[in-house]
Amino acid sequence: MDEQKKGSFLVDTMVFTKRSIITIIRNPLIFIPNLIISLFFLFVYEGGLSGISQLPAFEGANYLAFILPVSIVSAAIGGAGGAGQALVKDLENGYFSRLLLTPSSRLAIVLGPIIAGMLQLLIQTILILVIAYFLGLEVAAGFGGVVVVLLLTLGWGLAFAGYSVGVALRTKNAQSAQAGTFVFFPLIFLSTTFVPYELIEAGWLKIAATINPTTYLFEAMRSVFIDGWEPWPLVRGFLVIALLCAITITFSAVSASKAVSSD
Amino acid sequence: MDGSILVHDLVKTYKGDVKAVRGVSFEVAEGEFFAFLGPNGAGKSTTVQILTTLVKPTSGTIQIGGVNVNEQPERVRWNIGVALQETGIDPVLTGRELIEMQARLFGFTKKKAKERASELLTLVDLNDAAERPCGKYSGGMRRRLDLALTLVHKPKILFLDEPTTGLDPSNRKAIWKEIKRLNKEEGTTIFLTTQYLEEADQLADRISIINEGRIVASGSVEELKRTLGFDAIQLVFHEPEEAERASVVLNDVGENIERSREEVTIYTENGTQLLSELVRMLDEQQLSPKTLNVKPPSLDDVFINVTNKQKERV
Ligand SMILES: Nc1ncnc2c1ncn2[C@@H]1O[C@H](COP(=O)(O)OP(=O)(O)O)[C@@H](O)[C@H]1O
Ligand SMILES: [Mg+2]
Repeated sequence: MDEQKKGSFLVDTMVFTKRSIITIIRNPLIFIPNLIISLFFLFVYEGGLSGISQLPAFEGANYLAFILPVSIVSAAIGGAGGAGQALVKDLENGYFSRLLLTPSSRLAIVLGPIIAGMLQLLIQTILILVIAYFLGLEVAAGFGGVVVVLLLTLGWGLAFAGYSVGVALRTKNAQSAQAGTFVFFPLIFLSTTFVPYELIEAGWLKIAATINPTTYLFEAMRSVFIDGWEPWPLVRGFLVIALLCAITITFSAVSASKAVSSD
Repeated sequence: MDGSILVHDLVKTYKGDVKAVRGVSFEVAEGEFFAFLGPNGAGKSTTVQILTTLVKPTSGTIQIGGVNVNEQPERVRWNIGVALQETGIDPVLTGRELIEMQARLFGFTKKKAKERASELLTLVDLNDAAERPCGKYSGGMRRRLDLALTLVHKPKILFLDEPTTGLDPSNRKAIWKEIKRLNKEEGTTIFLTTQYLEEADQLADRISIINEGRIVASGSVEELKRTLGFDAIQLVFHEPEEAERASVVLNDVGENIERSREEVTIYTENGTQLLSELVRMLDEQQLSPKTLNVKPPSLDDVFINVTNKQKERV
């Protein structure tokens, strides 16, 4: 008599992911500006700064390959931030409570927007790479190198999505969650953004670049674009990302469990 | 899992020492239509959110269909349907998509979810708007869609938090009709909160009046009127000024007196006995009412009385 019903985590996750994808597609304003900014980086910096790659510190590298990771990573941050924004919208219009009242997996509720964000990010990154290819990009590590870049981007996106979801569930309000995405600027610009480490002038910026995890991501991507298969930059890059993911996903999981069992 | 609700000594204190619910106990039997009647801020929504697993109580035990809410919230969620005071709707999806998604989350296959969506859209009369994004719906349409979402999995127990507040009469009637049907024909247990006496009177088998986090009176509509033990003597005068004078003169006659414009209502233990005395007193002051009625109390009278008494105690 007493039917002990069980939900399916996979079905729930699929349903939530599909819904997030529909939401993204119906609101192109969510991803188009972000993509335009990233391409803007690519065109303007490549057009304006490519001359400096004649400097010996670049060791003959093509500036396009040097600046491309900046464009990819900035697109990734924007794309991953969308997961948090989507949750904030649900919290604000009350739909989040409606979802909590279903027997669906609590984890799936949070995972749906994250997976959709990762897919968006993957497509964005491929698009940027294709454009870069037409601008004359050559990848020293070949096709495998492209796969490595995609993996690095996804890892980075996941870490940032964890952060944005955590902030969203904690603040439960759009302004604060939006403000949370401003870490974008220090992450992107306090790094080896425009020139290699040796060319950074200010001591404080050198220190910032050393602490900034983005630096290791840039270096890992540049190594496959410019140098081919070099183990150390890749090991460092993936380690930093694994560490970041562990931190931000724990943060978002803790925030989620607080948000879903409100007292 | 049956359709009963059991709440014992429920207390909820929010951060900052906000005492929203201060020790509430009640039972609802399977198939019963129960209403929580109370003004804004009485603690109705807090109670609903706790009973439906959304908010954790500070103390107290709650069993929904014999299942402890704190221990097995997921099992409870399978069997309850909840329409919160604020409708929860994603404005980007269409009505049909929302219902289908809700059905999928309750374990329906894709095909079954589609069928259920069509049924429910017809039931709440939203077929014409089914393919439009919900963000474009009017308030009444949103409420109806919210009700459809609540009913997707045919829950045994329905929680409806002020389901008709702010609706126009035709939408209100539509919602009343549907929840009456669910209760009478499908035997669904209903827990409804409202600020409208008329609504509780029309729909509920049993009512608890809640004020400032406490239940101040409970019973069937008839019982509530009877246990109050009062008759209401209603006097209507020609002028508000006369009514005002009368209310001064008669101030000590009954237990309680209410005046609004040219009407005076006196609550008293025994209306008929008091009547001659009352007429004499008015005569002395050359006051003659246009009409004079003795009637058993209405639910309105009960409500005013219990909430007034509570104020006096404080
Ligand atoms: N999340 C909350 N945090 C703090 N106080 C709250 C919260 N929700 C409700 N309250 C307070 O609890 C009391 C009861 O509110 P509520 O349950 O919404 O009453 P009702 O639904 O009867 O209008 C009110 O004083 C309200 O301000
Ligand atoms: Mg309320």
